[in-house]
Amino acid sequence: MNRRIIAPVIGIVVFLGLWELIVRATDVRPFILRAPSRIVSYLLDNAGDYARAAWVTGIHALGGLLIALVVALVVGSLMAASSFLEHATQPVLILLQVTPFVAYIASVVLWLGSGTPPVLFITGLVCMPAFAFATVDGMRGADPAARELLASVDASRWEVLWRLRLPSSLPSLFTAARYNVGLALIAAYLVEGGNFANEGLGNIGRRAAALNEGDALWAAVFAMALLGTLFLLLISVIQRMALHWHVSQRPPRPNWG
Amino acid sequence: MVADSSIVEFLHSRAMSRIVVRDLTKVYGDLPVIDPLSLTIEPGSFVSIIGPSGCGKTTLMRIVAGLEPASSGMVQLDDATPAEARSRKRVAMVPQQPGLLPWRTVHANARLLLDVNTAANPPDATDPMALLEEVGLGDFLDAYPHELSGGMQQRVALVRALALHAPLLVMDEPFAALDEITRAEMRVILARLVEGRGATVLFITHSISEAVALSDRVLVSSTRPSRMMADIAVDLPRPRSADVEDDPRFVALCADVRHALQAGRA
Repeated sequence: MNRRIIAPVIGIVVFLGLWELIVRATDVRPFILRAPSRIVSYLLDNAGDYARAAWVTGIHALGGLLIALVVALVVGSLMAASSFLEHATQPVLILLQVTPFVAYIASVVLWLGSGTPPVLFITGLVCMPAFAFATVDGMRGADPAARELLASVDASRWEVLWRLRLPSSLPSLFTAARYNVGLALIAAYLVEGGNFANEGLGNIGRRAAALNEGDALWAAVFAMALLGTLFLLLISVIQRMALHWHVSQRPPRPNWG
Repeated sequence: MVADSSIVEFLHSRAMSRIVVRDLTKVYGDLPVIDPLSLTIEPGSFVSIIGPSGCGKTTLMRIVAGLEPASSGMVQLDDATPAEARSRKRVAMVPQQPGLLPWRTVHANARLLLDVNTAANPPDATDPMALLEEVGLGDFLDAYPHELSGGMQQRVALVRALALHAPLLVMDEPFAALDEITRAEMRVILARLVEGRGATVLFITHSISEAVALSDRVLVSSTRPSRMMADIAVDLPRPRSADVEDDPRFVALCADVRHALQAGRA
């Protein structure tokens, strides 16, 4: 066990311990704050339901992230190729990023119907800008010497994109992915809650809130936290494999010669 | 079809290229970078251009490599314009920064120029493996650039250019970022690689001893706008080893270059 695993575990344990302590020591009422031990035991009692719901929400978030990534690669490549397109697209992307998407969930549900489509649409939409900006940054940052070199043998635009610009944007895309994971899960949760034909955690959460079932609501929150942790771990693993060559992925080590 | 491919083979079989520059000028806005310049570089010769920083050497190189148009005048590489030579992959470049792709291994980096615009690859294009072994990187084929020293990275860049089998090699201060000891080493490696291969080499440098040690001919440029102050033939015997620098003739030639540089600054 190394420090990179132990330290976060200790952090979480201390956080939950303090929370538990505060709830037990002070006489705070359960509908304001309940002890983590109580939430966890409720979650374990209903593990099957929550696991099924978490699976649905996880798929929604993942689907939204992948849609966002694909669209952003196209949009970002176009933006990197033309500064006119970049300037024209930027304000729209920023609008998408800063406006509260909760406000238009109902409209999108009316438009696309209930079920999975509006969840994927909104999740994809809100995650797209960060990926697009990351694509542009990464592509612009491609090594000028390598660009000149590829130009010197008349490499096509497509070859430059595929062999140089896209790999160059991987590090910033992973940074955006870490940022987008939280956003994707929250969007999936809220849109699930905003339409009634889903089995996701958002649905459990919304129903629990409406019926004042505090344990069920907080268990959904904990399940979301676990899901987020799982997503970030997954991204870390993929990142370590895909970016083994990048400065960010290696400890300082002596070089040859 | 048969005729076509034999023409291609013929073009590539002459592994050298004559460069003819006539009345070439380059102006950026109002700023003249190259004054009317005419010169001929014989096929198979190693020619250095030396001059102060910002004198337009790199611009000249980029024009010859077809990466930038001239403002007026013409450049001819054998029967082709630089743009045509570029699209036929007949110009191999070694930039100042090695420009290795960090996600490719040494071997894959050495192949990079063969992996793009593949239609223009010479028919005798071979895997750069043997060249990598020749420059002492045989044990590092699967290493990544960040695992290499600066000198090793620049050796990969050399192999990457040579693997193209292009008749013209253009090098823009390829050793400028290296330490003195590594530079001396690279000089010997480059001389060995180029001698006997017959390619024409256009070599841009700031270093007087580097220019004299490597070249058949040294062109000395003035400060901007670039004018050629001197055209010095280097009559040192080949093959040249590191010891060529002890030769009194070498010392005398270096002095000639230095005086021409001083004249160009005045």
